[in-house]
Order: sequence, then C-alpha cells, then structure tokens
Amino acid sequence: MSERKALALFILLCALFGASSAKAHKLKTFATAIGAEISGYAYFAPGGRAQNAQVLITREDGSLAAHLQTNDQGEFSYLADQRTRLTIHVDAGDGHEADTHIAAADLPSTLPLANNSSAASRPIESLKGTDSPTASSLDLQQQIETALARQLRPLREQLDAWQEQIWLHDILGGLGYIIGLAGLAYGLTNNKRSTKPNSSTKRTKA
Amino acid sequence: MAHIPDGVLSWPVLASGIVTSLAGCAYGLKKLEPMAIPRTAVLSASFFVAALVHFPVGPTSVHLMLNGLIGLLLGWVAVPAIMIGLLLQALLFGFGGMIVLGVNTFNLALPALLCHGLFQLSRKSHNHKLIILTAGICGFLGVSLTAVLVALSLALSGKEFISAAQLVVFAHLPIMVIESVFTASAIALLLRVKPAALDTNWSEEPNHDDAESQNETGAQFTADSRAIESKVYVRA
Repeated sequence: MSERKALALFILLCALFGASSAKAHKLKTFATAIGAEISGYAYFAPGGRAQNAQVLITREDGSLAAHLQTNDQGEFSYLADQRTRLTIHVDAGDGHEADTHIAAADLPSTLPLANNSSAASRPIESLKGTDSPTASSLDLQQQIETALARQLRPLREQLDAWQEQIWLHDILGGLGYIIGLAGLAYGLTNNKRSTKPNSSTKRTKA
Repeated sequence: MAHIPDGVLSWPVLASGIVTSLAGCAYGLKKLEPMAIPRTAVLSASFFVAALVHFPVGPTSVHLMLNGLIGLLLGWVAVPAIMIGLLLQALLFGFGGMIVLGVNTFNLALPALLCHGLFQLSRKSHNHKLIILTAGICGFLGVSLTAVLVALSLALSGKEFISAAQLVVFAHLPIMVIESVFTASAIALLLRVKPAALDTNWSEEPNHDDAESQNETGAQFTADSRAIESKVYVRA
C-alpha cells in the first residue's frame, strides 16, 4: 500500500505544482500588425523565447514573403508589402513548430491587394474616385488604426497567454478519466477474474 | 520533446507509428490482469501529470517523462498506460497532436519496454545494489532513447538528423540525470517496502527473490507485532 501512497503523494504534489506554475510545453508564436509592420515573437509556452528559430512568412496564394530568423529575444519583424492573409510558421528545429496568421483586414488599406484578387485595384484610388474621403481623413483613419493596434497588442498578448494556461480542472478531469478507464478495464476483465480461481485450483490439483 | 505536434512528421512515419503503437497497445491490454489495473492507472496518472513538472534549461524548459519507471513497473502494459496519458495530455493540455499520437507513444513506449527487459535481467542477480543501479540506468535510458527516437522520427520526415538530435539530446541531459535519480530512488524505496510491486508477472507466483525479501519484512513485522502484543499484555 505504501507504493500507492507514495505515488498518490507524488501525483498530488505534481498537481499542486502544475496548477500553480506550469503550462503546456510547446512552441507558440505571437504576432500582430501595427500599420504595415508585422512584429512578433516565438516562445515556449512555459520557458523563454525561442532563439534562432526559422520563421517562414507565406502569403495567401502560397508564395513565400520572407524567410527570417528570430533574434536573441526570440523576436522577428517584417514589413508587409501586400494586403493579404499572411501565415507565419516558426520552426525551432527540435520538433517544435507553430503557426499563426495575420488577417488581411489587420493590414492597412493603403497596401496593394494581392495580385490574384480582382484586378489589383488600389483601395485609395477607388476611394478617391468616389470623392467622399479626402487624403487627410484617410491619413487620420490610418493613424487611428495604428494607434488602436498598438493599444490592443498587450491585450492580445494577455489573451494568448491565457489560452495556454493549464487549469486545475484540466488536471483533475484527466485524472478522473484515468480512474474511469481503470474502472472500465476492471469491469471488462471480469471474465479473467472469474476464471482465474479455477485455473489456480487446476494447477494445485495437477 | 516527446510531444511532437501535428503537421511536423511525414505520412509514412505517422502511419507506421499508429500501426506499431496500436499493435503494442493491443498486446499490452491482452496482458493486463485485473490485479495490475490499479498500478497501471496510478502510473498512467503519474505520467499524465509528470509532464507538468518543468525544469528550465537555457531558453527552453524540459519536463519529467517517467517512461523508464513506467516500463520497469508495468512491462508491456506500459504501452496502453503511456498512450492514454498522451491522449489526455493532447486533449486537455494541448501537448502534442492527435494524428501524431502513435509516433509519440512509440517514442516513449519502446524505451520503456527495453528498460523493462534490462531491469528484469538485473533482478535475476538478487543483488539490491545492482538492481537499484540498473533502475538509475533505466531512468537515464528512458529519456535518452526517447530523445534519439524523436530525432530519428524528425530525420525520417526530412529534417536534418544531426541538428535535431543535438537540439533534442542536449536539452534533455539534465532531465536524464533527474529522471535517473528519481527512478533509482523509487525502485530503492519499493525494494525496501514492497518488493512484490516490482513483479510484472501477475498471473504467476512471485519469484524467489521477492518471496525471500517478503519473508524478511514478514519476520520483522511478526517481531514488531509480538512486541506490541507483549505491551498490550503488560497493560492488561
């Protein structure tokens, strides 16, 4: 019984320790666009930033936009040249890889649209043609968007970290599943249990 | 490390991982005796939670794996125990992928089985020091062989083996040492307290070594109980 007790104590310690500090051990990427500049970082969900990891940025049509490497702080940045959905793929080289996306809507409307989408009409020109917003109001709108993106970035970072948090109910849920499966296994091996005394009596008779 | 995410490995590697792990799991379940279920569940739960115990190493962090210890105490039943632990980790913690579950199970369970074989060989010596030493080596081997298998599965999927192996093996050197000490002390405790717990042949009679050491502890126990009895008599 002491084996069980020791292991139960160990699990309890792990659960308490895990509940307070641990998160998933996996690579994560965080990136946001402030204006046309996409900046982000790659990190291990507990632990530090992923240094010298390969970063591949691809456009929606599959073409490679940039091949970068994270710096000592695990950061990377890229100046977008098209308004298209970007996929950022980070590879730490040891089997840890992660993806994140930048939606086209997050990029400034002043950027040219991707070549394949509807004759590459520049939004500024089309807007100018309809003569409603002036250049200065567009500029203002641009500034507001950039300021808003900058303000939202810490919130997004927090949300990202929140998502990676492992909660006590996850741990307890897992332990509950294992107990349930053990019960199931015990029920399913019922035949073995009921036949076992017979086999042992046979053995003693022989 | 032992939790490779989806989308990293190639299809042939994934498929062979699934096939071998399912076969191993089926064989393990076939060998599962009712007597072994509580131990299997406790060790599976330990494996499930142990991955949350992290040790920071440089820029990254590594976690306990316990596959050596699980292998020692469960034998073939370690395969389903590890698979269920990994499945729950993938579902609840987001560790590793679902399609890659077979490969991850294989990478952890094969070293566990090898450790079990090695440990059973050492138990035939009836030398407690040697058994504890082997347990330590098994703790070390469990992690290092898993690291090599992870690097190998990355290499078979078109990654560069040497760089992947260097990254994976070097990052896990501290955990190999921690795990080796942990496994050796766990086995030392079990040898002293409950040697029968090291047996994985549930259907057969306990082997000679355990019976002997059980007799020793049994003798101690009877001596203790006699002492208690005499105290009781004195009081009465």
